[in-house]
Amino acid sequence: MILAQEKLTELLQAYPPERQHTLAVFQDIQKECGYLPKEHIVAAADYLKVPLSQAYAMATFYHTFSLTPRGKHVIKVCDGTACHIKDSKGVLQSLERLLGVGLGGTDADGLFTIETVACLGCCALAPAMQIGEEYYGNLTDEIIAEVIADYRRREAGEVVA
Amino acid sequence: MTVNLMIDGLACEAAPGQHVLDVARQNGVEIPTLCHHEALAGQACCRLCVVEIEEASGSRDVVVSCTYPAKEGLKVSTNSEQVRRLRRTVLTLLAERAPLAEGALPAYCQEYGVTGYDLRFTVDKDEKCILCGLCTKACAELGNSAIETTLRGVDKQVAPPFDEPPAACIGCASCAEVCPTGAIACEDADGVRTIWEKEFELLRCEACGKPFATAEELAWLKERLLDTELNLAYCPSCRGKMSLKDLT
Ligand code: SF4
Ligand code: FES
Repeated sequence: MILAQEKLTELLQAYPPERQHTLAVFQDIQKECGYLPKEHIVAAADYLKVPLSQAYAMATFYHTFSLTPRGKHVIKVCDGTACHIKDSKGVLQSLERLLGVGLGGTDADGLFTIETVACLGCCALAPAMQIGEEYYGNLTDEIIAEVIADYRRREAGEVVA
Repeated sequence: MTVNLMIDGLACEAAPGQHVLDVARQNGVEIPTLCHHEALAGQACCRLCVVEIEEASGSRDVVVSCTYPAKEGLKVSTNSEQVRRLRRTVLTLLAERAPLAEGALPAYCQEYGVTGYDLRFTVDKDEKCILCGLCTKACAELGNSAIETTLRGVDKQVAPPFDEPPAACIGCASCAEVCPTGAIACEDADGVRTIWEKEFELLRCEACGKPFATAEELAWLKERLLDTELNLAYCPSCRGKMSLKDLT
């Protein structure tokens, strides 16, 4: 989703035009758009008076930023040490079966994108994943299927309502 | 004020804080370097310039000479067996990263007997770049900040934004000039310079007639240096030969 000029200007002008605010601006853009659209990176660099090469370097350096559109819900499968040992790979495989796409992919409905993170910081719940602001732990194939079905039901419900 | 130090048994004088590499070179002692450039000092990332030191206090260490400051009573050993062994390791890793690097890197590999390395650490067998960062620094300081290192970890590379021909590039070729491994393609042919997939018309020096700069580069310089039009019509080498009177 690309922001309207007015909305983008408002977002940018929440910060003084200085390079130190680049990451904060990027975070705000990503929150609105789900990713960093090229034209917004260009506009941000221009506003913050940062060379485009450096803005682009920052956007590609941080794992948290995506330069391609992502699904409505980003699933972050934890692949930290504890989750890795507790078979985070199995979680990925289970999601892959359910969504028909692999790591880094977005499903056909544009609903989910599958990513991994180094550690969610809730090792006691391993294997764990995060969707939006929600955490899901002690994952099994059944629990994962339930969680995904639940999101799908809610999305369908939203469309009806 | 000067400090006195010993480099390979040779008594040397240095300004305090002057880098050991500098002092060594001034005294005719050669130390191999890849990421060092006099105009763009402080990269200190290739690690080829390692030397052994012993401080006046007696403590010993291995340091990179290109950024290590000269101190009173320092003893430096630039070519010991340990130093050569470390350099072989550094060269092996760099050569494995950039198998197609040109120039000093393959030459040093030969000099240090680094051959037939396996390609365990090779990500791209066509790679020439050792990621020393000289090009991006040159671009930021001498050019128009058109290129940067992008991505991270094993994917890190030097690239223009969005991997497209960079709008900011003025065709000055500073990047290609400082690159120690010939990793940046730049071609001057028939009065046209091709770099970063952009083409620039080369202007000729009004004195010697040799192509020497792009129009974009001169316009950019003029904006910043407020130089006279006449001055910029000549190449740096002709400009150097002319008296102040000829230039104005
Ligand atoms: S392209 Fe050349 S100058 Fe630039 S980082 Fe790579 S090796 Fe260094
Ligand atoms: S020349 Fe000193 S680290 Fe590269």
